[in-house]
Amino acid sequence: MNLFTQAVISGLMIGAVYAFLGIGLVLVYRTARILNLAHGETFAITGVAAALLAKAGLPLPAALGLAMLIALAFALSLHRFVLRPRAEWPAGNLILITLGAAFVVRGVLVLAAGTDPVSFPALFTGMPLRIAGGVIPPQGIALVVLGFGASAAVGFYLARTRSGKQLLAAAENPYAAELVGVNVERARLTAYGIGAILGGLAGVLLIPLIAVDFQSGLAMTMRGFIAAAICGMSPVGVLFSGVGLGLFESMVGAYLGALYQDPVMFFLLILVALWQSRHIRFGGTRRA
Amino acid sequence: MKRSLIFAALFTTPCAYAQADKPIFIGEVAPLTGPAATVGTRLNKASKMWADEVNAKGGINGRKIELVTCNDEGRPDKAAACLRDFQEKGAVMIFGNSLTASLRAMQPLVKNGPLLLIPSPNVVPPADSYAFQVSPSDFHLTEAIAKYMKDDGVNKIGMVAATDASGEVGVESAKKVFNDQKIELRLARIDLRATDASTQLASVAGQDIKLVYSSYTGAGAVTVVKSFKILGLPQPLMVSYGNMSEAFVSLIKDVAPARLLGTSVAALVPDEMPKGAERDRARAFFHAYAKRYNEKPDMINLLGKAETDVAEAVLRKLPNPSDYPAVKKFLESTPVESFHTQKFSPTNHVGLDASSVMIVELKDGDWIKARPISSK
Repeated sequence: MNLFTQAVISGLMIGAVYAFLGIGLVLVYRTARILNLAHGETFAITGVAAALLAKAGLPLPAALGLAMLIALAFALSLHRFVLRPRAEWPAGNLILITLGAAFVVRGVLVLAAGTDPVSFPALFTGMPLRIAGGVIPPQGIALVVLGFGASAAVGFYLARTRSGKQLLAAAENPYAAELVGVNVERARLTAYGIGAILGGLAGVLLIPLIAVDFQSGLAMTMRGFIAAAICGMSPVGVLFSGVGLGLFESMVGAYLGALYQDPVMFFLLILVALWQSRHIRFGGTRRA
Repeated sequence: MKRSLIFAALFTTPCAYAQADKPIFIGEVAPLTGPAATVGTRLNKASKMWADEVNAKGGINGRKIELVTCNDEGRPDKAAACLRDFQEKGAVMIFGNSLTASLRAMQPLVKNGPLLLIPSPNVVPPADSYAFQVSPSDFHLTEAIAKYMKDDGVNKIGMVAATDASGEVGVESAKKVFNDQKIELRLARIDLRATDASTQLASVAGQDIKLVYSSYTGAGAVTVVKSFKILGLPQPLMVSYGNMSEAFVSLIKDVAPARLLGTSVAALVPDEMPKGAERDRARAFFHAYAKRYNEKPDMINLLGKAETDVAEAVLRKLPNPSDYPAVKKFLESTPVESFHTQKFSPTNHVGLDASSVMIVELKDGDWIKARPISSK
């Protein structure tokens, strides 16, 4: 077995998870100007619900579909019934509300599934692919392809399509956007909806390779946040920061050891934050 | 003289009755939520079952057990706060049903009592303290692995250990034991939030390695097993004592490697124990636990049972369990009957040793005594 090849494969899989979670966070941030700390809960809800439904005897595709719908309903409800009525509140308060929502989800999941981790079978099965001394399972290939594919598609949608640009306009100046006919509310619901589907999809593809429990959500939010912050909340940049972070994390783990992963990663995050804030420090107007 | 006897009869007897009516207050510190919840809830099940059973039979010496659980969420600061609260409320003893970091935070706080019982193998209490460990230590578990390897002439092992305090203990034991036994250790560490363990496994599981050991518990252990399967590694994979549960087996049953081994107290497989009272006790616990919770007990539940056996011995044999020096002296001088007899001494507060450990193997969904490594 070749350690370098395996580290690259592992890095791509980790990177796909960063990209999946990061793009959803960026989307909501760029349209509603809220850092949604409950974003990773869509991953946990999908995973736990799918595991319980599959265990109850539902066919796997139906269980996965239904679980993603539950996650979608959670995200849309969070916006429609919790955040939207408080739209005039300071952003900091709204962020704290999303954190509270994440803890509510934790409580519900622990009541539904207990404290033990759960999982469900892979959607893509078959013999793992062996390349240059490394191994990747079919589910891992799907995770990499769909993770980066979905991130690229969302980036393209925001940057190049009319409705994507409307989403961005709704965030930059909601009043002006409304004046020119943009339905701001629909744009925000769309953002939360796409974010939830991507979070759920990350769960569907990753959880068969690991396991999920009631507290997995915030860890996933953190991963998404790191990817999103490093690229300055750019919908296109998150794809590259995801790949970069995944490979970097995997290589540090393989050649320096896992004990160095966190210090190195957060040092990198600080360096990038300093680099991005250079305009602010020197009186510019560019925002991260 | 007569007058003092009358006084004694008038005033001390009602006090004695009042004491007899008062429940025995036991504090339990356990992570019921948070990353270690799977451990805390399992230990809590065993202690609750014990308290209910004792109370249903009228209590101990006429006094009921009042078991109060404080959820430390696996956080050392909260564990220390829970313990201080129990001390203020006059707890007779504490069940330290939490993880390494929390136990380390609690241990210095019981310098003057009360009794702190520890079911975790990862924390070895000093002999001058009121803390007693009711399980074999991590060092003993590692010694049992080394013996299992040596019996089969295997002298190289690959190990994946987490980057938390428990992983640190595992690495320390492994370095010491395997070095003493002249076993080559190839080590990789893994972050608790890792979503893939293939890189770590690729770095430790070369063709010359005949056994891979993952000293990891919970969701992370599942990640290691799944990555192991994906890589198609041919060696037996050994997992930590914390994974000897039905929940773990149901998670990995479709992706288990050809041979999945584990470290455990021998009572996990009562049929392999010698005939006698210890085997009977293990079987009785298996029966009672399965009846109450509708699931088989696992290694962690068994350690919870060992803890309550020690607690019950103290409460039954000593007239005043709040006399901490007397409790300490009693435990250091009297073997306590359980599914494996607990033997503490004035120089050793660990009740079990490597002789109580069995290397087990998963076969058809059940844990059995492991066959030699070289078996196919």
